[in-house]
Amino acid sequence: MAGGRSEGRARRLSSDSEGGRDLVKEVEESRAAAGYHWIGQRVPLIDAALKVTGRAEYTDDLKRPGMLVGRLLKSTQPHAKLLAVDVAEARRLPGVAAVLTGERYPTPFGVLPMTHDETALALGRVRFLGEHVAAVAAVDEETCERAFGRIRVEYEPLPVYDDPKVSRESVKVQIHARALRDTNLQKEVFQHFGDVPGEIARAPFKVKVSGKYLGVTHGFTEPHCTIAESTPDGRLTVWSATQVPHYLHRSLSEVLGIPMHRIRVVKPEVGGGFGGKSDPFPHEIACAALAIETGRPVKVLFDREDVFYLNHGRHPTLNQVTITAGEDGGFRAMDLEALIDGGAWSSFGTVSTYYNGVLAMGPYRFDHFRYHGWRAYTNHPPSGAMRAHGGTNLRYTVESAVDELAVELGWDPIELRLRNFLTPNCKTINEFRITSNSVRQCILAARERSGWDRKFRQLPYGRGIGVACGFYISGSNSPIHFTPVFPQCTVHLKADMDAGITIHCGAADIGQGSKTVLAQVVAEVLGIRMDRCRVAPVDSDTAPVDLGSYSSRVTFMMGNAARSAAENLKLPLLQAASELLGHPVEALEASQERIHLRGRPEVGVPFVQALHKAIERRGALVASGAYSTSPLGGTFKGAKAGTAPAYSFSAYVAEVDVDVETGFVKVEKVWAAFDCGRPLNPLSVEGQIEGSIHMGLGQLLSEGLSYRGARLMNPSFLDYKILTPQQMPEVECLLVGEDDPEGPFGAKEAGEGPLVAALPAVGNAIYDAIGLRFLDLPITPDKVVRALEGQQKKGGGVKPAPPTRPSSVGRGTSGSA
Amino acid sequence: MHLDAFELHQPATVEEALAIASAHPGRFDFLAGGTDLLPNYKMHLNLRPQLISLDRVQELRAFRPEQGWIGSMVRLRELESSPTLRERHTALAQAASEVATPLVRASGTVGGNLLVETRCFFFNQSQPWREALGFCLKADGDRCHVVPQKERCYATFSGDLAPALMVLGARVEVAGSSGRRRLPVAELYDPKGDGIRRTLLAPGEVLVGVEVPKGDGRERSNYAKLRVRPSFDFPELGVAAALTMKDGRVERLEIALGGLEARPRLMRKETEPLVGERLTEERVRTLSEEVRRSVRPVHNTYLAPDYRRKMTGVFVRRALLALRPST
Amino acid sequence: MSKKVPVTLRVNGEEHELHLPPQRVLLDVIREDLNLTGTKRGCDLGTCGCCAVLVDGQPVLSCLALAKLSEGHEVTTIEGISAPGALHPVQKAFIDLGATQCGFCTPGFIVTAVAFLRDHPSATREEIARALSGNLCRCTGYVKILDAVASAARSMAPSGEA
Repeated sequence: MAGGRSEGRARRLSSDSEGGRDLVKEVEESRAAAGYHWIGQRVPLIDAALKVTGRAEYTDDLKRPGMLVGRLLKSTQPHAKLLAVDVAEARRLPGVAAVLTGERYPTPFGVLPMTHDETALALGRVRFLGEHVAAVAAVDEETCERAFGRIRVEYEPLPVYDDPKVSRESVKVQIHARALRDTNLQKEVFQHFGDVPGEIARAPFKVKVSGKYLGVTHGFTEPHCTIAESTPDGRLTVWSATQVPHYLHRSLSEVLGIPMHRIRVVKPEVGGGFGGKSDPFPHEIACAALAIETGRPVKVLFDREDVFYLNHGRHPTLNQVTITAGEDGGFRAMDLEALIDGGAWSSFGTVSTYYNGVLAMGPYRFDHFRYHGWRAYTNHPPSGAMRAHGGTNLRYTVESAVDELAVELGWDPIELRLRNFLTPNCKTINEFRITSNSVRQCILAARERSGWDRKFRQLPYGRGIGVACGFYISGSNSPIHFTPVFPQCTVHLKADMDAGITIHCGAADIGQGSKTVLAQVVAEVLGIRMDRCRVAPVDSDTAPVDLGSYSSRVTFMMGNAARSAAENLKLPLLQAASELLGHPVEALEASQERIHLRGRPEVGVPFVQALHKAIERRGALVASGAYSTSPLGGTFKGAKAGTAPAYSFSAYVAEVDVDVETGFVKVEKVWAAFDCGRPLNPLSVEGQIEGSIHMGLGQLLSEGLSYRGARLMNPSFLDYKILTPQQMPEVECLLVGEDDPEGPFGAKEAGEGPLVAALPAVGNAIYDAIGLRFLDLPITPDKVVRALEGQQKKGGGVKPAPPTRPSSVGRGTSGSA
Repeated sequence: MHLDAFELHQPATVEEALAIASAHPGRFDFLAGGTDLLPNYKMHLNLRPQLISLDRVQELRAFRPEQGWIGSMVRLRELESSPTLRERHTALAQAASEVATPLVRASGTVGGNLLVETRCFFFNQSQPWREALGFCLKADGDRCHVVPQKERCYATFSGDLAPALMVLGARVEVAGSSGRRRLPVAELYDPKGDGIRRTLLAPGEVLVGVEVPKGDGRERSNYAKLRVRPSFDFPELGVAAALTMKDGRVERLEIALGGLEARPRLMRKETEPLVGERLTEERVRTLSEEVRRSVRPVHNTYLAPDYRRKMTGVFVRRALLALRPST
Repeated sequence: MSKKVPVTLRVNGEEHELHLPPQRVLLDVIREDLNLTGTKRGCDLGTCGCCAVLVDGQPVLSCLALAKLSEGHEVTTIEGISAPGALHPVQKAFIDLGATQCGFCTPGFIVTAVAFLRDHPSATREEIARALSGNLCRCTGYVKILDAVASAARSMAPSGEA
């Protein structure tokens, strides 16, 4: 049951691993030496029992007395002036309580303070098919739809922009007044370090690779849902399926003109987010507006098609990278361009534009780097942040280029990577501070476990193996709202006479298991059973602010805040025990449900006794802990983008089987070596890795938002093809990271980084299998067959040539023959 | 999402069902498993105010695989798990096992799959989506967006069972106000029909069941389905083949295709010349090529039409090579 | 407003006499009328499996089943899978082996798996994957779900082998 240690099958390396050292075992042994009780255990999620019995409550499971149904009318034009939205007749329909249009709450908002370009409902103009032009609250869904039939919307069509390349040029109509110059660009970024053109001119080896990516979307199973209730005491309560309750809180206040302290935001269970529930959304504000208007609770529940239109998924991307290397195989320069299709709104777009460039170099060292990035407004549904935001399409292009460069050089691609990794404790050319970095251990472990040395270029035609590395931020160092400077996360603890610890924190558990991490950390510090820890629901009235579940910041930042809070709570317990035992506080420690002399549990008092003693005179113990980032990064424009207190690293090897007649690619196995520092809960980390691989392979093989012009052709789970259980490869997780110096108990992120290497590892394996490189995602069977036909015309399919340079680098450490 | 109001009828006999149907000409749909009709209704596709559920009609539930009789309301799940069908009429059991998902197959029926609505990505969309486009020929509009014109609908037939039943020589029993008749499954689909009008059933006729010839156990058959994912997806191509050999020569050979055009097709013109011949690898290749050349998929599914056409040849060849006795 | 008809439903062993419009689907009745919110609404079109319930022991899509046609059948939702205070071995394995993350698809997976293991107690991992191929999960990559169902099968085996 919850709170117990899992009996689960650990993915350990067997003793028969190929020769030499067993890196995973070594790391595990060194971790065990720390002697933690809860940290590092395979702990089942503390809310799992509720989820498997159907008792976990998601927003749509909640009912309020007298609750109305809210629905939003979709635009039928992709880009048009709204000449009139006549709702008079709809308002008269029996059963309709309120109908609102954009004029009611015209204040623009958006997740980033500098780019507020959304409104609660379309105002004066619609910018994509499916944008909401009116909101109706009525007794039921049927009445809402009848009301839609009585709303007369008058459009004046405007030119439709569906191609980011067109948006980058001078345009007739700007989608937003804030677009750059006379274009439809939302953001342009240029950075140059060193001398890239000179390096390219001089380079003995260089490759240039271009990638093209359809947009992809999060595909969480729970559709968006919000309930709002305005009460006569002047307060507004909003329950919403959100990853970032705090930004919703701020936006509600800004747009509705209600001070934050009179708004209460509650986050029930969230059925998956992956970035798709991290913006404050128009429908959340529209729902609150309907509640204020009617004085009754209102629920807005999206259907699946609405979810596809709200999107905020990964940007459709065109990118291009040139990498140069010297005769010694050392990387020299990277020249990168990316044009991303932002759709109709800014969302996280400024960050997206930076991330699509600045995350390119890690895990490799380059001394010269140039990036030119553009984010275009188009009349597509908005793009935004999706798992491994900015780092996914970029990574596929870069890792394909590295693979190609290995071919040029005649090197084994693992050897080439080993030659070029960033070291621990270094600074990149764009001034990222790298501290812990186990990418080297990752690639060695993946090589050894996958049998790379006897498979690469040696499997039969149609069968292949490939490698790719990854790098991702462990939390954004700069919070979005940076003035005044608040902590990134605060945790409050309360311990009362029932000897349970209540943990309050605004961090949003969206299934990734952050509640469990909170309980693990607090139980570890206080030396108590985990089931004493109860994590209070996220409720802005009681929970201190956390900036939300995005940018893979929660384990790192919340974990540190929780640890600090628990240490603060422990102090009075130690003092109380000191009084009872007659030993000084410094001589005591907490473990095994006792406060006792260091290393001597028998000389001590039970935790409960110490707690009761501590409470005796002062009442319930409360403690607070917070985590703030310290300043990082350079002083050039955009220098903060991509800075993080730590970075995760990875090296994945994938083996594939390609049916050379039908073009079907079967991914047989992925060896996923990941450096998240010390995994606080390996069961959860594995879950993140396996889920990431599923999502990555979906984007690689079949997922993609398909547009004809501005029209989304596949807004459904039938036509947007997420992989099924039968398509998942076997996954072997290799958690070989060393402790991070600043992470809680040495931990780093594992939520997004695990995704990025999955796609190029498979792409490179396809190249090994059939000698064809696919840079146009998804790699559907028809594309594969078309490419194979081209290959046939050139004389037939053969495996790529094996490396000409004898292997040497890294041999000493991996020891494999 | 919700369903618009309709009147639900639950007749207990075929005759009752027919009587209700004839009382509401043009204003009813028969409801079998609901896994095709109800999603379409939720998208407001060709709604009818009267829904006649065949759920309570016991006669339609009869399942006697040993005698080759399958009632139209037999669930796909029953088909795929029948040892008799798996052994004797492999193509049918395989086709049933590849429909959609296990959850759909628990409700989906034989009759429903035979009469499944044709599909197109301009048709299988919500009301607001279609409204934004100006609707299409197949529902509420007057023009086709796949092949722009106003005469013909190019929606694709997407059932899996029909090709299998065709190659097995199955016949459907149909009940109408003027009595009952049987016709080959191969003749159920209107050769002049487009993606809107699909079958030769008269309005109000009910599919009672399917009769599959028992045979003498020498026939071998199979069904292969092209789709992106091994579940959920409708066929981008479905190939059924049945082969009976005698003294090393073809006694009977049938191939049928689904998922490509507005109706499933039995490829008799291509297979007939092989009767009495030895089924060499060379002949298999030639036949596959001929079949490939005769199909005309359009771009209204996930995979490109030229690819689906090419795969037709590959799938036919693979099917026949698998059926051919190993010598 | 649409006309209502009397509908008697047996859900988790309890009989409910309701008056419903005939077009009302089982999912809506379970969630809205009976307040059994463990069954989830993921797509409403039969393409995700979140709404799976058992009807006479077989998993079906409750979003595509008319409630009226479920009369005379025994409906079991996730709330009826195990006795109060107890867990089915599949539920236990989902907890212990990390097979649930956000939890939204979990009830659909569990009812489907419970029915499948009842009929196929010694199923292989491939057979389990096929049986669950009508359920989408976006969090887990299915790996731990298949681990859990396979482990539950072993724990339920008559020999009691673990």
